[in-house]
Amino acid sequence: MLVAKNLSKSYKEVKALTDVNLNIQKGELYGMLGPNGAGKTTTISILSSLLKPDEGEIFYEEKSLYQNLTECKRLIGVVPQEIALYEDLTASENLNFWGTMYGIRGKQLQNKCDELLEFLGLSDRKNHKVKTYSGGMKRRINIAAALLHDPKIVFMDEPTVGIDPQSRNLIFEVIEELHSRGLTMIYTTHYMEEAERLCDRIGIIDEGRIIAEGSLDELKANSSIKEEIHLKYSNPNKNGLDQLIDRYEGQLIVNENHLVLSSSQANAELPELIQRCSQSELLLDKIDIRSLSLESIFLELTGKSLRD
Amino acid sequence: MFTIALKDIKQYFKDKTAVFLSLLLPIALITIFALMYGGIGESEKSRPINLLFSDQDKTDLSQEVFSTLDAEDGLKLEATSYEEAETLIKKGKRTAVLVLYKGFQDSVEAGKKIPMELFYDEAKEIEMGLLQQALWSNLFGITMKKGIKGKVNTWIKDKNPDLSDSELEDIQAQVAEQFDGFNNSEEQSEMEENSELPMTALVGEKKNGNLGLVQAIAGIAIMMLLFSVSASGASLLKEKEDGTFRRLLIAPVSPSGILYGKMLSTLFMAVLQLTVMFLYSWLALGLDIFINLPALILMILCAAIACSSFGIFMASVCKSRKQVESLSTLIILVISAIGGSMMPLFFMPAIMKKLAVISVNYWAMEGFFDIFWRQLPLIDILPKMIILLGIGAVLTTISVISFRRNLLKMV
Repeated sequence: MLVAKNLSKSYKEVKALTDVNLNIQKGELYGMLGPNGAGKTTTISILSSLLKPDEGEIFYEEKSLYQNLTECKRLIGVVPQEIALYEDLTASENLNFWGTMYGIRGKQLQNKCDELLEFLGLSDRKNHKVKTYSGGMKRRINIAAALLHDPKIVFMDEPTVGIDPQSRNLIFEVIEELHSRGLTMIYTTHYMEEAERLCDRIGIIDEGRIIAEGSLDELKANSSIKEEIHLKYSNPNKNGLDQLIDRYEGQLIVNENHLVLSSSQANAELPELIQRCSQSELLLDKIDIRSLSLESIFLELTGKSLRD
Repeated sequence: MFTIALKDIKQYFKDKTAVFLSLLLPIALITIFALMYGGIGESEKSRPINLLFSDQDKTDLSQEVFSTLDAEDGLKLEATSYEEAETLIKKGKRTAVLVLYKGFQDSVEAGKKIPMELFYDEAKEIEMGLLQQALWSNLFGITMKKGIKGKVNTWIKDKNPDLSDSELEDIQAQVAEQFDGFNNSEEQSEMEENSELPMTALVGEKKNGNLGLVQAIAGIAIMMLLFSVSASGASLLKEKEDGTFRRLLIAPVSPSGILYGKMLSTLFMAVLQLTVMFLYSWLALGLDIFINLPALILMILCAAIACSSFGIFMASVCKSRKQVESLSTLIILVISAIGGSMMPLFFMPAIMKKLAVISVNYWAMEGFFDIFWRQLPLIDILPKMIILLGIGAVLTTISVISFRRNLLKMV
């Protein structure tokens, strides 16, 4: 469906993308996981023709993007990170406008708008101005505007940023439904849970390079880390935490009252870890050994947390 | 409190363009108003008034009148036929024409009513005031002197029909020497009556509104329209800030198509605004908008095109809405001041009148003056319309080039 070869892009002195290669199959939901500033939005902008790469080629259904720009644009739907809607217009008016931009008109457009509003659970608010919507509702209309012209591939650039868990779940359901209908999607996120839950294949991107790619199982299988030790503590002690970070450099993720240690042999490492926590005067409430997550894989690959 | 103040000051200085413009605006306005009120270049000689001169008598005396008036500091004479003069005045290009009819010299010398007339444009009240003053002192001086001489000659010849020409000239010279002592109020009054200069307005006689009304409507309408279109053009930058511009660029439409779409909506709003303003002027202020409706419609369209292209031009050369607001306020106030929107051009010094031609306000206002005040036929208003369309074309071309060049920065 989409092939991108050796995409590179620089902004003055800063290298935003370096030799990015993608091969997205029809019906696939491909996740691009990386921290903020890793190059996810630049990749989406290049793939959607918004930016031109300094080097590289892009093909949609084996047609070159730049030689068949208008034709390829019709194959693409983009859900931008920001709410790219006219807030003073109603949901219906917004969808009508964006549909018309893709050449859909009349009854066909009306039916498509109604169908999408129904699908996204917004039929009863369709005549209300977008500015009166909640963050989650705006996100859903933002998605609808990208689906009006029945694109073959949809880019979703962090579509759940800044919304509550309930709205996020609603959006996940929408994405899963679209996936089940066979729509090809590229989904960027810096939330590993989203990538784990939704994506068939995940590309881990950092500093403009795709550093690992594969299904979740493949990524786990290729990692030298096999498990994670989760420690919950109740007395945050900065000096103690600093000692642990020094000892387990590149292995330890520190969250609020919660430590995650990536480990190839959790059972063997656990006694020493408990002893060090005790020396660091951290009172442990709970200890868990879990299977490997994407966050630990990211840490292993980059030496930094996704939240850094 | 101080932290907030410091933060605000820091933010203010972050946008260097906005800082520059906020300082430039008052400087520019002070300069313009100083020029308008004559505070700058006081030593500059005021521009002489152009007076057309139609000599139908073609005698020594009529030539003397031409030379005397032309030598006057405040006047610059241009000899022309009456027909040509009439056209120039009706088109607003000249203020007045002094016509000396056939028999001018004979009548002066015979002490009869002098056949002369001044035709003028009522719109140019200030210039006419100055002109009358200059004419009165010079014209009356010449005709009075010649009139007395003529009367004296006639009287002497009547009484002494046998006098030779040389004897008559001697007597005249002596009379001239004594002329300063002339103090016959009855004679003087008759002379003054004969030297009276009839004045006829060529423009303004048949008007239905008044000059001030046309000035106010046309001036304010264009200035306010420029403010509206720059706000409308800035909506392009709002699209950028809101992210909808990226979405538009992803859609199968060319970047120029987006710009033309914006221009079209801005043009529509400009036409609507001008139409509403003129309808209001008709209903509430009594401006006869039906005086030349086709010309008015075309003029509204041309002014709207020129003004809306200015709005798009601002949006395409500025990087943020803040920049558009500052820069457009500066430019609009400047071109409105020099174009006559704030104050009639005839109040302004010569340099401002020369500068006025670079202002869209000037050409639009001149067009509306042609329609409502000078009541010219469409063919005579066309050049102003073409100039407005030309301004629109130039600004649009620059906008398209600049928009394409800055496109990447807008993503």
